[in-house]
Amino acid sequence: MQQMPKRMGKRPRVQPPADFVERADGFYLYLDMPGVDKEKLLLDIENDKLSVHAKSNFGLTAGERVHSMEFGEVEYYARFEVSELVDKEKVSAKFENGVLTIYLPKREEVPPKRIQIEVL
Amino acid sequence: MVINYGSFYDFPHLFDQLMDDLHDPQLTAPRRATYPPLYISEDDTHVFVRALLPGAAMEDVELIIEDNTLVLRGELKPIQGKYHQQERPTGAFQRLVKINVPIHKDGITATMKSGMLFVQLPKSTAMQPRTIHIQPR
Repeated sequence: MQQMPKRMGKRPRVQPPADFVERADGFYLYLDMPGVDKEKLLLDIENDKLSVHAKSNFGLTAGERVHSMEFGEVEYYARFEVSELVDKEKVSAKFENGVLTIYLPKREEVPPKRIQIEVL
Repeated sequence: MVINYGSFYDFPHLFDQLMDDLHDPQLTAPRRATYPPLYISEDDTHVFVRALLPGAAMEDVELIIEDNTLVLRGELKPIQGKYHQQERPTGAFQRLVKINVPIHKDGITATMKSGMLFVQLPKSTAMQPRTIHIQPR
């Protein structure tokens, strides 16, 4: 059993909203993680568990007087189970515009072998 | 949204709301009533508006300042493919932010970084605080 990562300070821990989309070449997982630095994003794949962990930073300064606060700095954490259909060796990820995209290619299926039956 | 200089009077109410939000499972739910979520603040020289817009490219977002209202609008396009799970918002969005401080419109700057839009609105110099030196009599 994988352990929950240690909390990063006192930020609330949230699960980023996720889209899971299938296309001909495989599966794509999209996670909204605004305010995260690419360098500080942790993405682990262990056995059939995929985990994502990061801390957001919106450049909020202590000198600002807040009028309305509909979001704040958080700690993102998510865990997913990777299907048998996925080729784990070829999983790749990119981070763009605050969205983490994880590409999970489908395993190439070995075509079933036909056995010729000889009539004796 | 009105920037109210007396907003500290609302503090007890805002604090209660914060406490309620902390116990509200909806807070972490993907779709919220108003999109995008905003963070509005100010210092002596600027008003700051931050908006969370993950997945939006610069060309997807339109920013207009009209009188004393900042208009933020755009569209998030759905992804091509077969959805097995969809939690991220899609579609058109618009939010209006009323700024009740005179703003120096030419000086407004907006940047986008890792899914966050950051708008800096400089206050008119007449509105900026000034230190008055006290003369000895």
